[in-house]
Amino acid sequence: MAEPLLKEETGIYKKKYPYYIENPVVENRVAQFLEAFAAVLNYTDYKPLLDSYCITNTKCNRCAVACPVYVTTQDSRDIPCYKTNLLLEIYKRYFTFGGWFRSRFLTKSFELTEEIIDEMLDLFYRCTACRRCTNECPLGVDHGLITRLGRYILSLIGIVPKALQVSVREQLEGKTHNTSQVPKNALLNTLEFLAEEIEETLGIKVEFPCDKVNREYVFFCAVSDYLLEPDTLMGNAAVLYAAGDWDKWTIGSCNYDGINYGLFYSDWHLENIIKQLVDEVERLNGKNILIGECGHASRSAHDFVPVFGGKKTYPVMNFMEYTLDCLRKGKIKLNPDIITQKVTYHDPCNIARSGWIVNQPREILKSFVKNFVEMEPNGQYNYCCGGGGGLVSIDEIHEFRMEVGGYVKAKQIEQTGAEIIVSPCANCKKQLRELVEYYNLPCKVVGLHDLILEAIEIPGGKTSEERKKMKEEMEIM
Amino acid sequence: MEQWIEFAKGPLFAFTFLIMILGLARHFIIQFYSIFISKGKQLKNVSWRKIFSDMFSWVVPVKHLIKGTRIFSTVSFIFHVAAILVSVFFIDHIVLWQNYLGIDLPSIGRALADILTLVVIGCILVLIACRIFVRRQREMRRKSDYVLLIMVLLPFLFGFLAGHPAINPFPWNTAMLIHILSGEALFVVIPFTKLSHIVLYFFDRLSVVHWQLKPGAGDKVAKALFGEEAKV
Ligand code: SF4
Ligand code: SF4
Repeated sequence: MAEPLLKEETGIYKKKYPYYIENPVVENRVAQFLEAFAAVLNYTDYKPLLDSYCITNTKCNRCAVACPVYVTTQDSRDIPCYKTNLLLEIYKRYFTFGGWFRSRFLTKSFELTEEIIDEMLDLFYRCTACRRCTNECPLGVDHGLITRLGRYILSLIGIVPKALQVSVREQLEGKTHNTSQVPKNALLNTLEFLAEEIEETLGIKVEFPCDKVNREYVFFCAVSDYLLEPDTLMGNAAVLYAAGDWDKWTIGSCNYDGINYGLFYSDWHLENIIKQLVDEVERLNGKNILIGECGHASRSAHDFVPVFGGKKTYPVMNFMEYTLDCLRKGKIKLNPDIITQKVTYHDPCNIARSGWIVNQPREILKSFVKNFVEMEPNGQYNYCCGGGGGLVSIDEIHEFRMEVGGYVKAKQIEQTGAEIIVSPCANCKKQLRELVEYYNLPCKVVGLHDLILEAIEIPGGKTSEERKKMKEEMEIM
Repeated sequence: MEQWIEFAKGPLFAFTFLIMILGLARHFIIQFYSIFISKGKQLKNVSWRKIFSDMFSWVVPVKHLIKGTRIFSTVSFIFHVAAILVSVFFIDHIVLWQNYLGIDLPSIGRALADILTLVVIGCILVLIACRIFVRRQREMRRKSDYVLLIMVLLPFLFGFLAGHPAINPFPWNTAMLIHILSGEALFVVIPFTKLSHIVLYFFDRLSVVHWQLKPGAGDKVAKALFGEEAKV
């Protein structure tokens, strides 16, 4: 594989990768930052955590070797603890007794400056919030959480990547209520198109359920999937159909976006987006929330519907859990002779780091893919694709994601020698596709249900063998 | 000198030990309250199993020792085990626990204690070396990192010297006094420095609980800063 194009000797890793900010604040940022920090401390409950981290942080820097960014750059500012320490120092100085005392009576005390704000602005978006470092910290210091808190405070003074802010604004305040501005009629058209495609490839006639009430599952995927990932969605549909659950699910037309960028930078938005999601389920009187193939959408719903849903909490399932359940109960059949290539699996950090979804996709894959190889390390200890924490949506830092964030991943992929990388996450797929192209790796990136779509047997439809032949003929033409 | 040692072993020991206990108790109470009581409602989303496994999974971090920072991790783990064993279960210390706390603990023999003490001293030297020679550790070092390691070293070193007159260049009394005083100095600094991880360790590990954010807080922050009409 090509070395990163920007080699270490050139010192280029010191390079900054600025992102667009909508209305950059230029004046008086220190005072504004402190005011925002004070407000956050006042209403949230981060204080005890910060108190404890401030005092115990041993700076052993064990976390550094776990971080793909530091491993690539070897630059001290990329040490996870260094980043975290920026925020902790500010907290200590301005919001604790000790800090106040030092600043009053000792000459050399820390002061927040514009330069430090610039440094935070840069560093908090050099971390993919993948939390791999947390797994390796003896004290369990959660740099993902602190990075997120830092970003939250910065966002309150207007420092936030434009790409994220614009999406969130559309989702919460816009007409379409989704990040990609897909209007309702476009959704309906897409669903029709998907139904036609299904008829053509699978040989069955279906109509996608939209706004049906009292259904078992209300389905949300990353809204971009409707535009970019028809195979994944058709795979989802195929499982529901084959399992005989076609009249048990629905899509809601008022809110059909599982994306939640609040998870990456704002408590405020996180909560409101979750509420919007819960309201839609309530409107349709659904029983469960079923999230499509998207890591952060799954994690935000799974972890935060119980927190922010109030009394209206609904069980949250990832689609892979559903599929595995169908497979175990024998409700669906996957033909093991269809996928002959070498396949590997990339764990999306948001669902794998906590250990929630690690074995499910593997069990599914191993049931019909003969040539399966693991990346090393994997599961809870996987490396981030390099686009986590919302970075993948920021196009202007493409070079950072390729050269720095994703370098370790690209090497890992190359070592497996796989022809297909399965990654059940909209963000990871985008980043991995760009990586594969950037480093010229001979493999293709797909979702799990893209493969299932090829191998599943559909009652009353074309067999998987027939479909495979059809596809091969098409490719020859 | 004799009186000094008696004083250090008696009232001063009780006093410094009390400071440590009170300081650590303060940490314990604040953290326990904020995690298990004021977060009460949000806590129901986290299973007790998860809480316990997060708290204790690193106590014996076997699978973590073999990757990443092998030397540092292994040495620091051995250091912790040996230091706890010697300082709590050494036969002469058992007497202190009996006198002050009225508890009877089993003791480890002198020979084992000697070996463990040497292990502790060796480990501390390696840890200091890591701070000096490993680049990523050097880059974030503070003076206190060295000072604390040396403060921990002193009681072990002088305890060992006091127990082995043959190699002890100091008079027994002096070595003993330094042993006791440096140990007591350690008691005093524990609650105020990173050594308070004795207690805070178990709470730091519970980041899963801290991810249970406070409902409604985001809206309140936005209103406080931007007024009722806060916009994204
Ligand atoms: S591993 Fe943990 S304690 Fe050590 S430097 Fe990193 S965050 Fe700090
Ligand atoms: S969360 Fe991930 S990217 Fe961020 S510091 Fe930790 S390991 Fe590095």
